[in-house]
Amino acid sequence: MRKSKKFLKNNVGFLFVSLWLIGFLVFKAYPFLSSLYYSFTDYHLFKGISKFTLQNYTDVFTNAAERKALLTTFKYAFMTVPLKLVAALFIAYILNFKIKGVNFFRTAYYIPSILGGSVAIAVLWKALFNDDGLIRSAFTAIGVDAPRFMSNPSWALFMICLLRVWQFGSSMVIFLAALKGVSVDLYEAASIDGAGKWRQFFTITIPLITPVIFYNLVTQLVQAFQEFNGPYIITKGGPLGSTTLMSLLVYNNAFTAYKMGKASAQAWVLFIILMIFTAIAFWSQKRWVYYADEDGR
Amino acid sequence: MKKRVLSVILGAALVSTALAGCGNTAKETAATTAATETAATAATETAAADASAYEECTITFDWWGGDSRHEATQAAVNAFMAKYPGINVEVNFGAWSDWETAKAAEYVSGNNPDLQQTNFDWNTKYNADGKTYLDLNTVSDVLDLTQFSDNDLKIVQDVNGGIAGIPVALTGRTFYWNKATFEQAGLEVPTTLEEFMAAGPVFKEKLGDKYYPLVIGNYDRAILMTYYMQAQAGTPIIDENGKLNFTQEQFKEGLDWIQSLEDNHVIPTLEYYNGEGADSIDKSARFINGEYAGIFEWDSAAKKYISALGDNGANLVVGAPFADMGPAGTGSFTKVSLMFSISAKSEHPHEAAMLLNYLLNDPEGVALMGTERGIPESKIAYETLDAAGAINETIAAAHDAVMNSKPMYWNPLFDDSSLKGSSPAAYTDIFDQFSYGMIDSDAAAQALFDAYSAVCN
Repeated sequence: MRKSKKFLKNNVGFLFVSLWLIGFLVFKAYPFLSSLYYSFTDYHLFKGISKFTLQNYTDVFTNAAERKALLTTFKYAFMTVPLKLVAALFIAYILNFKIKGVNFFRTAYYIPSILGGSVAIAVLWKALFNDDGLIRSAFTAIGVDAPRFMSNPSWALFMICLLRVWQFGSSMVIFLAALKGVSVDLYEAASIDGAGKWRQFFTITIPLITPVIFYNLVTQLVQAFQEFNGPYIITKGGPLGSTTLMSLLVYNNAFTAYKMGKASAQAWVLFIILMIFTAIAFWSQKRWVYYADEDGR
Repeated sequence: MKKRVLSVILGAALVSTALAGCGNTAKETAATTAATETAATAATETAAADASAYEECTITFDWWGGDSRHEATQAAVNAFMAKYPGINVEVNFGAWSDWETAKAAEYVSGNNPDLQQTNFDWNTKYNADGKTYLDLNTVSDVLDLTQFSDNDLKIVQDVNGGIAGIPVALTGRTFYWNKATFEQAGLEVPTTLEEFMAAGPVFKEKLGDKYYPLVIGNYDRAILMTYYMQAQAGTPIIDENGKLNFTQEQFKEGLDWIQSLEDNHVIPTLEYYNGEGADSIDKSARFINGEYAGIFEWDSAAKKYISALGDNGANLVVGAPFADMGPAGTGSFTKVSLMFSISAKSEHPHEAAMLLNYLLNDPEGVALMGTERGIPESKIAYETLDAAGAINETIAAAHDAVMNSKPMYWNPLFDDSSLKGSSPAAYTDIFDQFSYGMIDSDAAAQALFDAYSAVCN
């Protein structure tokens, strides 16, 4: 009796976490590992597996459509992430000043990111930038022959990027919190020494908020590589596949063509690329991220 | 001590909560299975004695469509439940967009509903082994199959020779014209290919660059090109044995013809069409305000376009496939517009078949369902609606136009997921690249021929 009580006492914690563990194993670990297995097969949702193959992986780099999707994903990420971070930091910096109605502006700038993944925003974007939309009509009204933003392959990806850049609110709030954490004493001292606002920004503000820049960089990078809603709702990956990102290709292969093996391999390639970029970001932080509570680096 | 007792109680409660569900489910499942087996046996015996007998149960039913179809079907389901108290029908319905994706997931998990609206090609796609859909011969005691022609029931056979679904209606593509726009251009609506081709330059000259006699998307292009090719050759693109009947050179001719439509301002380029960003033509402002003066649509789909035009709905008139499309006629085809199937896993096939019979063959249900799924193939349904004057004139005219166009055989392989659907799919990718000028007709023909060959092989 005493033995069983002791056993229960020592293991009751496992009981409490068991539900989470079961959920993790069933809904995370199992799909994660099974997708790895499927990625080496020609698994079709309704035809099953007929062979094991590496072709799904080689196709990502040799098949023209898949290579294009990969390249488009890179373009999207490398356009969106820097633009979004710069926009977020810039607005956060302005909203850190004591200006009249600052709370209203903070809320107004944050609202788009609350609506972040919503279908409504994507629909709004479509309505703004399609041929008969507000933006193109405005250009036409002033006599400018604007391009077809959504149906021109050269413009469509940029419009999708712009949607996500506009939703910089969450990064902005994090930057704002970081900016508020920078001691006023440092600015006062720099000011006494004759440093102007720009000098203060680049030599005091930026170095002291590098941990937050790093955090935002990594999270935004992950989000960018996983982007799905924008191209899916606005352009369906078109025109000419110019907005077909890897996540959309994974979806189309998995749920419209039912090629689960191929989709799994594409998802794993995307995962590995993300891991590499995240690893590079972590490795590089030793060189540019300043942590004040340790030895400075 | 108290804390220890409390943690033990909490832990036990947690485990019992977690496991209680399983226990109950298992018990319930066992009970349900036993009850079902008993009920099935009893139902079979009872059915043999009296097909109208039924047991109290809940059955599930789903379909896709537009608002008017939803309203009509819900009204019919409610009337069915009132007529057969004790049978509860849980319905699920929505728009077509992403519907098939959701249904595919249900097929994999085996959770498809008792009664379901299905597409013709789903029979080969999701019922390849004949185990997804119930052979409707097994419920012919309550489902009156005699209301359907032998041909109707033959084309929906599964691999085992069973009837996988009931074809609600046959459908084909035809033209619909906005006569008001044609009148503005000083033209009659076209009845021949020659008039149709000549309308493009007139529209451009008299109405401006934004006005086109016809608008067609990627899949529409595939069908219209097929009409043209079949009209030249006199054979279906894919025959009953799944053999591709056309050569790469014939595909090139078809593509060149499509290109000539763009060049002559008969249809807009896909860049112009996509630029509007409309989800479908019935939601296109350009169609609604008459800039697009023609569509090439299923005969059963007229109502949503008439509805989209609002007060100008009467301007939409039915055209017919062009008799001078080619030496072999119109080149048109018909196919099953959609079917109703019963799940092979249904625990209440008898009651599901009762509902199906009510919707398709019972005058009361037929009247409520109307022509929301096209002109019904069921003889009694057609007679009922015809006698009541309930057959929509436009739909009837479109259906007649298709049926009188000497349509050819249509193979469901034409809609294979590698051809039709989101990219990567041949119709989307190849017609996009061709219209945007990224590839010429030689390359497009090669790509289309390869895509069809892969499917047909």
